[in-house]
Amino acid sequence: MIEKEESIISEEEAAQYDRQIRLWGLDAQKRLRGSRVLLVGLRGLGAEVAKNLILAGVKGLTLLDHEQVCLTGCSRDLMVRVDQLCAQHNIKVFCGDVFGYHGYMFSDLGQEHNYVEEKPKVVKPKTDESNDGPEAKKPKVDPNETTMIKKTASFCSLKVALEVDWTNEKAKSSLKRTPVDYFLLHVLLKFRTDKGRDPHPESFEADATLLRQIRDDVLEAMGLSSELLPHDFVSYCFSEMAPVCAVVGGVLGQEVVKALSQRDAPHKNFFFFDGMKGSGVVDYFGPK
Amino acid sequence: MKLSIIGSLRKELADSLSTCRLLVVGAGGIGCELLKNVVLTGFKNIEVIDLDIIDVSNLNRQFLFQKKHVGKSKAQVAKESVLQFCPTANITAYHDSIMNPDYNVEFFRNFMLVMNALDNRAARNHVNRMCLAADIPLIESGTAGYLGQVTVIKKGLTECYECQPKPTQKTFPGCTIRNTPSEPIHCIVWAKYLFNQLFGEEDADQEVSPDTADPELSWNPADTETRATASDQDGDIKRVSTKAWARSTGYDPVKLFNKLFKDDIQYLLTMDKLWKKRKAPLPLDWPEHQKLTCPQGVTGMGLKDQRVFGVAGYCQLFSRSVETLHSMLADKGDGAEEWIWMGNCDDPPAMDFVTAAANLRMYIFSMNMKSRFDIKSMAGNIIPAIATTNAVIAGLIVLEALKILSGDVEQCRTIFLNKQPNPRKKLLVPCALDPPSANCYVCASKPEVTVKLNVHKTLVLALQDKILKEKFGMVAPDVQIEDGKGTILISSEEGETEANNCKFLSDFAIRNGSRLQVDDFLQDYTLLVNVIHCENLEKDVEFEVVGDAPDKAPAPTRSQEEGKNVANGNKESSEPSTSSEAPAEQNDILLVDSDEEVPSSSTMAVSMESGGHKRKLHDAETGEASAKRQHLSQPSADDDNDIIALD
Repeated sequence: MIEKEESIISEEEAAQYDRQIRLWGLDAQKRLRGSRVLLVGLRGLGAEVAKNLILAGVKGLTLLDHEQVCLTGCSRDLMVRVDQLCAQHNIKVFCGDVFGYHGYMFSDLGQEHNYVEEKPKVVKPKTDESNDGPEAKKPKVDPNETTMIKKTASFCSLKVALEVDWTNEKAKSSLKRTPVDYFLLHVLLKFRTDKGRDPHPESFEADATLLRQIRDDVLEAMGLSSELLPHDFVSYCFSEMAPVCAVVGGVLGQEVVKALSQRDAPHKNFFFFDGMKGSGVVDYFGPK
Repeated sequence: MKLSIIGSLRKELADSLSTCRLLVVGAGGIGCELLKNVVLTGFKNIEVIDLDIIDVSNLNRQFLFQKKHVGKSKAQVAKESVLQFCPTANITAYHDSIMNPDYNVEFFRNFMLVMNALDNRAARNHVNRMCLAADIPLIESGTAGYLGQVTVIKKGLTECYECQPKPTQKTFPGCTIRNTPSEPIHCIVWAKYLFNQLFGEEDADQEVSPDTADPELSWNPADTETRATASDQDGDIKRVSTKAWARSTGYDPVKLFNKLFKDDIQYLLTMDKLWKKRKAPLPLDWPEHQKLTCPQGVTGMGLKDQRVFGVAGYCQLFSRSVETLHSMLADKGDGAEEWIWMGNCDDPPAMDFVTAAANLRMYIFSMNMKSRFDIKSMAGNIIPAIATTNAVIAGLIVLEALKILSGDVEQCRTIFLNKQPNPRKKLLVPCALDPPSANCYVCASKPEVTVKLNVHKTLVLALQDKILKEKFGMVAPDVQIEDGKGTILISSEEGETEANNCKFLSDFAIRNGSRLQVDDFLQDYTLLVNVIHCENLEKDVEFEVVGDAPDKAPAPTRSQEEGKNVANGNKESSEPSTSSEAPAEQNDILLVDSDEEVPSSSTMAVSMESGGHKRKLHDAETGEASAKRQHLSQPSADDDNDIIALD
């Protein structure tokens, strides 16, 4: 997904990208300018991500709409296979979907994703100056000077992230702090696999019934109570809601920009958005 | 359960969307994303207003605009672009200021909902009042860099925009600017003042020459007072206006250079008390051999503007830009006075001048010189901005709107967008809305404020412009003195009370304890102002509002200062960013009250980082206060009020 080429930012581009260069710096912009991205799926979420990446200034965006007539997201199997294939070639992978008021994004940036963070420099106090007054002796954070700190983050595959074991005690105790959306995702992906499409308003009754059934099956298989997803969860996961696409597409788009520019800590490894509550959570699922 | 839904929405909601009349104020960063969202969600009747025109620097995020649209009306082009992908939408575009009296309470009453997508506090204050007057829900929002915020304002139910006092933009004391700069920002402000003194409109609050009334110079206050009066009355060279003096030299760059960077510095050195604990400035000599030194320490990989030159280079740049500006001034003739600094951020010779003058001063005061790129950031109050932050916030705005239209206003929240998840893993943090503040000077039933000022030294004009308009956000105030006679001090009708403008308040028998009734009929707003006479306000402070925390005590000078106070936009006024009078660059930020409080000088990235910390610290301070407040709705277990931006 990423091909790095040496980029030059022309004066014209400098004017156009001025406001973002002032945020993430010239180096980051150059990396963006040399990056190529493959985007699969062009429904609401895909369109938002496409918009965000093009505005950011990526070099190339390849659009793959694998079903011409009926636009759907990717099945779980397909996502897992693509993720594994990309891992072999050191290509970073992002997945995302919007189901009604809910949305998620997942990222796999590989075993070793290198990036930088900009931190203010701490200025050490001078010990020899005697006439600078008492203030000069204290270590100050100089807001004018910053320094780049190199860091590394490690990601697991989608397969592993989705196959977390909930039967052991440790996992069960962490359940309380676990976003319920993780389980909702499993249910919706199963629906997609089984029906070959997402829940549709036209068949609301039937789909709602099926969703509840899948919930029971999925949670039981994980060794969890079906109470985890309340009865009315079905009401809020039909269709793609435009504003939810905007939110998830914004976060996902920014994660792609971060990964391409190798600047700032990436969210690891899921982001869940609940449009009913307005809450957006970043959480990690996978081996510790 | 029979649930009829259209798309993802219940039928009733979908229906109210199609009939709802919506007003979107602003068609910039948030506005473009918002217009897209509202039409895609199903709103049919939309009116959008923006006074600004499109600039090339908008194109990295305001995606409804393309290169070919630069110079055109944002509202107009936004409408046209939206119609491209949604031809059935009914959109009305206004290339106008929302503060125009045409948009009165009746106008606002046409709408079911108002969404702000603004970048300045004045307009936000105004729309806040109009929506209160019309009793219409308002969704407020703002972004800066990676951060953003959305909130809902409903009369009687929630806080209004002005319930919490907002910090005014940071200003620096005159003596810091004129005598003892210690940070690059002081030098940049000085350079901007200098620009105005030489080429723009001279302002008594923007002096650049050494300040002999510096309180640090004397041991007792009486002495300072004497010096100040003495320097006022002296007919010596310091009292000749800078512009007049420059004219007398024919704007000779070398003469200007010598006065500003050599003679004035030597004069400062005679004020030895200032330099006992500070590093003394070094006067500069005009370099005989003008050589543009090579860029220092730059590998050539940066932007042209990111280079930093040697001092000789800036001497040369100073000279060149003075010559260019002088000839431009001569060409303009008498209209030149309108040419005020702020708007010329993108104007090369003006920016060159400020870069050169600021750097020379930094050099003199032993600070590391800065690139044009960095100086432009600080001089132009530029807030970095990207598409994704605006996209997220605009999405949240629509989701709040849906709650309102469903009649679920108690589900509405203030939502903060962070750069990184907080300790509870939240990137988006919803917080319950607060009820109105009982003593809000806008939405309380009989709002009242107390203002401290010197009745003998405050002009009626200053009361109108600096206090009522700038500080209290009125657009067209009418003022009556409660003196038993109902004396009219200020009338919003043009010309009626013009004769009063240059009189002092005391001339109208206003004294300690006087009360003024102030009305703004456009905003349907009445404010009672209690006057307290005070003779020892701090230096450079013209008035104080009792009840404001000290760092909010305003002494707003017209050229509002840089402290990149991101809250509410770094513009106090609502002029378009692209006009020649406009301050700063456009940005879409909001009432992230305690969030973006920025140190006195900083680069962008750092201020955003430290902003996060600032917010947390602030919560620690105000934690108690917030815990006692009754929240609007019972927060559910999930609804952590982790971070409540208060101020």
